[in-house]
Amino acid sequence: MTLTASGKRDLRQELEAILGPGAVLSDPDELLVYESDGLTLFRALADFVVFPTSAEHVSAIVKLANREKLPFVARGAGTGLSGGCLPTEGGIVISLMRMNRVLEVDYDNQIAVVEPGLVNLHLSWKVGPRGYYYAPDPSSQQACTIGGNIANNSGGPHTLKYGVTTNHVLGLEVVMPDGEVVWLGGKTRDACGYDLAGVFVGSEGTFGIATKIVVRILKKPQAVKTVLAVFDEIDRASEAVSAVIGRGLVPAAMEMIDHLTIQAVEDAFGCGYPRDAAAALLIELDGLAVGMEAQAERIVAACRETGAREIRTARTESERLLLWKGRKSAFGAYGRISPAYMVMDGVIPRTKLPYVLHRVNEIVAAAGLRVGNVFHAGDGNLHPNLLYDPRKPGDEARVVAAGAEIMKVCAEVGGSISGEHGIGLEKSDFMPFIFSAADLAFMHRLKSAFNPTGLCNPGKIFPTKKSCGEVGPVAYRPHPIEEKGLAQRF
Amino acid sequence: MPDALLDKLRATVGTQNVLTGVELSPYVIEGRTPEAAVFPGSVDEVAAVIGLAADAARPVTPWGGGTAASVGMPAAPAGLVLGLRRLSRLLEHEPGDLTASVEAGMTVEAFQTALRGRGQWVSLDPADARLATLGGVLATNASGPRRHLYGTARDLLIGVTVVTADGTVVRGGGKVVKNVAGYDLPKLFVGSYGTLGVIVEATVKLRPLPDHERLVCIPFERLKDAGAAVRALLASDLIPNAIELLDAPAGAALGAESPALVVGFDGLREQVDWQCAELNRLAVACGGQEGRPLPDGTWPRLETAARAAFPVVAAVMSFSVLPSQVADLMEQGAGGARARGLASAWAAHAGVGVVRAAVGSDVRPKEPSAIAAVLREWRELARAGGGHGTLEWAPLAVKSQVPVWDDPGAAVRIMERIKAQLDPRNILNPGRFVAGI
Repeated sequence: MTLTASGKRDLRQELEAILGPGAVLSDPDELLVYESDGLTLFRALADFVVFPTSAEHVSAIVKLANREKLPFVARGAGTGLSGGCLPTEGGIVISLMRMNRVLEVDYDNQIAVVEPGLVNLHLSWKVGPRGYYYAPDPSSQQACTIGGNIANNSGGPHTLKYGVTTNHVLGLEVVMPDGEVVWLGGKTRDACGYDLAGVFVGSEGTFGIATKIVVRILKKPQAVKTVLAVFDEIDRASEAVSAVIGRGLVPAAMEMIDHLTIQAVEDAFGCGYPRDAAAALLIELDGLAVGMEAQAERIVAACRETGAREIRTARTESERLLLWKGRKSAFGAYGRISPAYMVMDGVIPRTKLPYVLHRVNEIVAAAGLRVGNVFHAGDGNLHPNLLYDPRKPGDEARVVAAGAEIMKVCAEVGGSISGEHGIGLEKSDFMPFIFSAADLAFMHRLKSAFNPTGLCNPGKIFPTKKSCGEVGPVAYRPHPIEEKGLAQRF
Repeated sequence: MPDALLDKLRATVGTQNVLTGVELSPYVIEGRTPEAAVFPGSVDEVAAVIGLAADAARPVTPWGGGTAASVGMPAAPAGLVLGLRRLSRLLEHEPGDLTASVEAGMTVEAFQTALRGRGQWVSLDPADARLATLGGVLATNASGPRRHLYGTARDLLIGVTVVTADGTVVRGGGKVVKNVAGYDLPKLFVGSYGTLGVIVEATVKLRPLPDHERLVCIPFERLKDAGAAVRALLASDLIPNAIELLDAPAGAALGAESPALVVGFDGLREQVDWQCAELNRLAVACGGQEGRPLPDGTWPRLETAARAAFPVVAAVMSFSVLPSQVADLMEQGAGGARARGLASAWAAHAGVGVVRAAVGSDVRPKEPSAIAAVLREWRELARAGGGHGTLEWAPLAVKSQVPVWDDPGAAVRIMERIKAQLDPRNILNPGRFVAGI
């Protein structure tokens, strides 16, 4: 819906009355900052961006939006990669960045209560001195928020052993799409009634807005061992993944980094990955100090048998962090070799890795593009990064088409079209690749139970003709801050 | 039941797979007999049966191994039992993927046996694994001692196929271990007691079988000291796969003469050995005796230790509380029962705050009201610390005085709306679940 100028002025006053000064943006220049998330192919402008500091604030904003029949969507750090927090139909973006406190840490029961705007890594910093950490570790964990992790059920390298966000969330205080504040789950393990906390996590902001989150914190492992297995052929690296699993080992993490990505990472950070390698596997074991060597030997044997040419072990914590820096900063490093990239997020059965990586390379080559692969191999969670130049006419369209092809391949081998980034706007039209009309209708009825008016984050997850406005992949145009030379696009 | 409906059911699944009359005796719950028990042989047949039931407005009670049939309020007076025992195939198991897909009527034991042959297992260890079906375990969120390390069905179920209340086949999740496409329907169905759809197929995450596993029993003179040992254990570097706290009556059922801490470890032999030695040190410092290993056959008895303390039980209640409150709940709960002249036995998955208590019965039947009073008091103890209690088993006379399910608070409104959206005619297990859902 479109607001009139005077209607907008009145609403701004009402929002300021709820939130106080300095917490409402409505100037188009300021709103521009919030037109995208980490997937810059999609853009949409809100009418307002607001910054609540309490559940009462969020509830009042949501009630106001309902009264005005204005759509609203929650936003964390904006590091999402599927356009999930974009205000596709205008309305109010509710930024939770000022609700960023750790409210309570209970070490005896190994839980923490946090606000949604808390940066993921900051929780581990907070509990680290007592020997604890928060396990889900998305690559963006230095910036992304736990509320955003809830929306997308985020993963990370160590989810191979420790599970994704949903496995670490016990309960949430939620502002429902009608403004009512409700607790789903709590501090204890088993739900009373339906597992609403479990259903809420990963609902991509369409079931309400979490304002308090109860998460588990874990004891830091006694020992950690990190190895880098280097391969001359990517197939051998793919086979090593199944070989390790087949030997009855579940490492804490098992990440693959391909040749092109190694070049980018070495250019940017000099992490010591061998530049001539076709692929490297970054494998981490953690747990008891006793038995660590024996387990590492099994891993090394599996890698050697499948053809690793070299295996390096991090001897110190700083060596270990350097190896991880290459992995965790790979996305930024692509900026060294390409003006832009689009990251895909498919999942496949682990045993299908060699076949699917071949298909990805074929599809990308046929489209005349380049691809860098850096991904959670142990989980079968692929991240092909399609490199392109947005200023080159036709590149974006080719990227989008190749991305869809890759998603189809993932679906064909029994996989999924998203492992951790969410469906959002980007992949809503791919949902029929893996779900039937009946499956989607059932999910829609579930949505109606939480969000009957549909005002809470509309236009996401379900296949739909893209709505009007600037939604959908749009031709590249430089952001004002790019034009001023204040920022560059990676 | 009208003959026409019976005829249609027989035509759908075969005459020999529709039971009526005296054949229904295994399916009588609380004196209520269903009109028929129907055993479809395929997903399509399940869908057809539910479609027929929906058209005739007949309630449907999904039935796996029947091990949790008495949990919850009894089924509606008339209706169908929908048995899943003919859907018992292992559909797919690719060891390199660490996943398997099964039909819902396969027993947990049969599933584990098939997996074990290829060096893997599913980390679910509910009671009655011989009878309990995978579908039933998922629908009731049943678990066992190893949940301490490996979690519950919600952590393992990655894909689910259900037949919905209108006879449609719906799939949620998928076959891969990491998947955020669409809403998390597996979470919706775990623990939903068959009120939102009938689970017909499931895909779960697997684990490699550990090289070695050991269960150790440490007797304590006082439960309080065993509770302190649990706290020390949780704060240590050890990685137990089970932490069981038993009071004296429940401990006796496992051959201990006193309160006991029972701890499990798995992994490489050297890891298990080291951890057992560390555990001894830590427990002795809290007042425990020297630990002794228990035979492997003890594992399946842990889940039912409280109930096994008495030849006949009058009621069983389970609680979900904070781990730090477990020992207090056990002591205060037992004290409260004693004050009313009732014997009780308590056992807990102490590291995750899941406690189970049984009220003993003797030759003279107890007054339902006396039992109900104790159960209400127990539930209040759990609620006071932010937890909740479920009356897992009791005669109807007691259930009519103490609600089976605890009050989920304001969230109940959402639960009711979910039920109304997904089963608008209220034919799936009506009235059995929370808040009369």
